[in-house]
Amino acid sequence: MRLIAACFALVFTAVPTFAYDIDRIIDEHVLPGFGRLAANAEVLDQRAQEDCSATSPGLREAYNDAFDSWVRISHLRFGPTETGDRAFALAFWPDTKGFTPRELTTLIEARDPAADSEEDFSHVSIAGRGFYALEFLLYDPQFMDAEPEEYRCKLLQAVARDISATAQAILDDWQNGYADLLRNAGENDIYRSEEEAVRAFFGSVVSGLQFTSDTRLGRPLGSFERPRPNRAEARRSNRSARNVLLSLEGTRDLVRLLADGAPNVEAELDTAYDRALDRLAGLEDPTFAGVGDVQGRFEVEILQQNIDRIRELLGASLAPILGVGAGFNALDGD
Amino acid sequence: MSTRRGFLAGLVATGLIPKPSWADAGAPSYLAAGMLPSGDYNLFGLTETGAEIFRLPLPGRGHAAAAHPHRPEAVAFARRPGTFAIVIDCAKGEIEATLESPEGRHFMGHGTFSPDGTRLFTPENAYNETSGVIGIWDAEHGYARIGEFVSGGVGPHDICLLPGTDIFAIANGGIETHPDSGRTKLNIPIMRPNLSYATLQGELLETVELPREYHKNSLRHLSVRDDGLIAFAMQWEGDVNDNPPLAGLHRMGGEMVLAEAPADVHQRMRAYAGSVAFSESGDSFAITSPRGGEMQVFDSETAEFLSAVDSDDICGLSSGEGGFTYTTGKGIFGCVGGDSPRSPSRHEVAFDNHLVRIPSPDAA
Repeated sequence: MRLIAACFALVFTAVPTFAYDIDRIIDEHVLPGFGRLAANAEVLDQRAQEDCSATSPGLREAYNDAFDSWVRISHLRFGPTETGDRAFALAFWPDTKGFTPRELTTLIEARDPAADSEEDFSHVSIAGRGFYALEFLLYDPQFMDAEPEEYRCKLLQAVARDISATAQAILDDWQNGYADLLRNAGENDIYRSEEEAVRAFFGSVVSGLQFTSDTRLGRPLGSFERPRPNRAEARRSNRSARNVLLSLEGTRDLVRLLADGAPNVEAELDTAYDRALDRLAGLEDPTFAGVGDVQGRFEVEILQQNIDRIRELLGASLAPILGVGAGFNALDGD
Repeated sequence: MSTRRGFLAGLVATGLIPKPSWADAGAPSYLAAGMLPSGDYNLFGLTETGAEIFRLPLPGRGHAAAAHPHRPEAVAFARRPGTFAIVIDCAKGEIEATLESPEGRHFMGHGTFSPDGTRLFTPENAYNETSGVIGIWDAEHGYARIGEFVSGGVGPHDICLLPGTDIFAIANGGIETHPDSGRTKLNIPIMRPNLSYATLQGELLETVELPREYHKNSLRHLSVRDDGLIAFAMQWEGDVNDNPPLAGLHRMGGEMVLAEAPADVHQRMRAYAGSVAFSESGDSFAITSPRGGEMQVFDSETAEFLSAVDSDDICGLSSGEGGFTYTTGKGIFGCVGGDSPRSPSRHEVAFDNHLVRIPSPDAA
């Protein structure tokens, strides 16, 4: 099928042949990524049931491992992650109105029995679920020792269990049908051609990088007159820069698979990724607290430009060889 | 014996000096922004059949424009989150005024004039507040900012005045954005777009929401018929394969009616409608999807699907002779539904999202 598509592309539009392989993307990027998330989330759940103390080293380690594995594949925002708002239930951020602490406070004050059952808790507002809610329970002084202790513990366990259930549900959907829709693109109504399948992956990289640049970096940067270090993502658990790193590594993994067979493009993108990763490593500022002073701000802004440069290259170099060049209006709707 | 000067002064006093009109700019029927092969942006004046009357430079990528009902003035808005809009005298080809959004506000790329042309209204994101606003500008006095009123929801995008009233229909797209984080959408899981009706005095008369399951359907473009019927177009922020309805009709005080083509045709829209317009007669309305390269036409009474047109990167849409006129990112200007079918004309320009019809002089 792909061979035929490639021939048509050559004959009719003189687009260079492409070598991406949807099967490889699924087998080497998607399924291992969501598999790792489900496995790590299950460990997180187990640890929470064993020891719900907010300072438990084993619990915090499991939390960070599971959160790591989410951020690595958090760009894959289509299909199973979107069903029932699962991705948002794992990761409700940014939280511009402070819904997460408010929802947790409401649950605790009401001793809401939803925490008793996995099914009931899956209907709790997404602001009270997922990694960012759990971060408050594990790292925020207001919630680490919330009273009554018995309910705090129960709530923490409910959040961990819900993360595990959500991660498992995403993996199940990928394994039991959704991956096949992409593998067999052109033979179903969801992906009517291989181009549509590759477009979904390509778009996920572009959106993932945009989110990291505009939101993970843009929100703490605020404006020059008013930097907002308190808006840095997951700053309570010291993960702000780490999440940027994981997002870069995760999208790079997919970009390499997409650019496979086009060594020049791959090399060009690799260089751009290296530049951003080097800049990030040089920051030594895990929560972007430095955005408040001129030098610190400057360095984060340069990192933002490095990431935007990757996005530009994706559009200019990778999109054409994938045959997903979008139209002037279709590219960025309004 | 009257001097020439005295004669002219007399004319001015009696208001007989003809004021500049769209005729002085070549009587275009449409305005459209677009990108030239050089990468520069221009505002185009086009005839009913797509012939170019003028092109004027724009400082950057435009979104929609607003056409003054009488004077040959176009207001070109920067794309979101733009803080500037420019008023262009299309007869002289000069920038006549610059609008700068107030602190804490930015334009959303749309605006509309009052029918008498004395006021310009601009939907604005009030990004530190719970509702957007509609800015009011004095088009008689250099486009001074003279006030604002709340739009009734987050992210007001498009606005139109119900004919013969001082009531606005406002499409509150529901998406929270903040200039600090560019165009990133900050509230997708909790967004709640709506269609609101408000008076110029800022009184919110009615707010209509979509059914809960469609809360991620950003209702953001509008068209109004002479009798006040509103057609709206939506952009789905959930998974593209959910294929929710993308268009609908509403009349103040009534229920929303959603319009959707049969499933196999509907999914060609790729869960995205970029523009909406009633046909010239108002009997039908259409939406366009640049992502699907598809325009779909529906009956204005029954909301039934009537027909579809395929054109790559189609987005700009307006009423046109006997039906609709559309533009595309590939430079096509086409007409649909007229008595004498015309083949589309082609321009060396990538037309941007919207095509704005200039009110004909007799309608004013």
